[in-house]
Amino acid sequence: MKKLHLYHIPIAYMLLYVVAILISGIWLFLLSQGLASADILQTLTHIATTPEPKSLHNFIEVATPHMFAIGTLIFVVAHFMLFSTNVSKKFSLRISLMLFTVALFNVLAYLFISFGLVVSGWIKLFSLALFVLVFLFMLGMVAFSL
Amino acid sequence: MKFLVNKDLEHASLLKNLMAGVVFALFFYFILDVVLHAYVIGLDVSTLSTTLFGNPDEFMEPILIDTLLLQVHIDLFMALFSIMIVASIYIRLHNKKVMTKWLVHALFILGLFTPILLMIAYFTNVWFITIWLVTFILGHLLAMWMSLLILKKLLFK
Repeated sequence: MKKLHLYHIPIAYMLLYVVAILISGIWLFLLSQGLASADILQTLTHIATTPEPKSLHNFIEVATPHMFAIGTLIFVVAHFMLFSTNVSKKFSLRISLMLFTVALFNVLAYLFISFGLVVSGWIKLFSLALFVLVFLFMLGMVAFSL
Repeated sequence: MKFLVNKDLEHASLLKNLMAGVVFALFFYFILDVVLHAYVIGLDVSTLSTTLFGNPDEFMEPILIDTLLLQVHIDLFMALFSIMIVASIYIRLHNKKVMTKWLVHALFILGLFTPILLMIAYFTNVWFITIWLVTFILGHLLAMWMSLLILKKLLFK
């Protein structure tokens, strides 16, 4: 296949799109927790102490498209590591599996709050932060491989 | 993407037809996406400014930031996948043309900036609505044109 380097263009833009999707996702989550009427720090404190109540219906409504979208997005981003000569396949596999696990934990985190298993919202904040960090690390790996 | 790169199209009619099928579906997706946006937020400056800023004379409230951001969030996701597929197949088929690189750059830039411009328009003024409208229409036309070029190469060569 000639001019394989042209494929670097879609991959590079994909990284930007994923960052934009992550930012808009975080923004949406903070808005649902009252960001519109308070500053970020206040909203984070509010989530940690008294997260907004969510019914099972609300949870399913948010979780269902995210299960599909996040799963597909991780697959698409991570499969580019198959082409990488800079990062080992074993390390890529570990990070990919970690990302899938953290994503599942992040999507399900609000379920623990909804069912009253956890009173504080720290679990959602922690899972969200972890998911974003691992995803950014994976994007960094793809960028490094370019 | 790996299968797109590896397979020799001359001896893989299944892959050739699969690519034609997905691009055909995406071509109609781009058309319907324009229609959908016309219904949801409007496709002319006056309807768009009523959606984004409301209209006190007609007692119309502006769109909620949550609703608009959700639309932008979904648009980014859909744009990423649709453009990735069209661009990858386009590169596979038109890799010898100099224009390919610039068309792919233009498609990705328009796709990324369209949702961002909508958010900027919401927080600023009506001028960005015009810019959003131009980038939105241009992006979709470019994607449709590239889809047609792919179909032409796959089906009529």
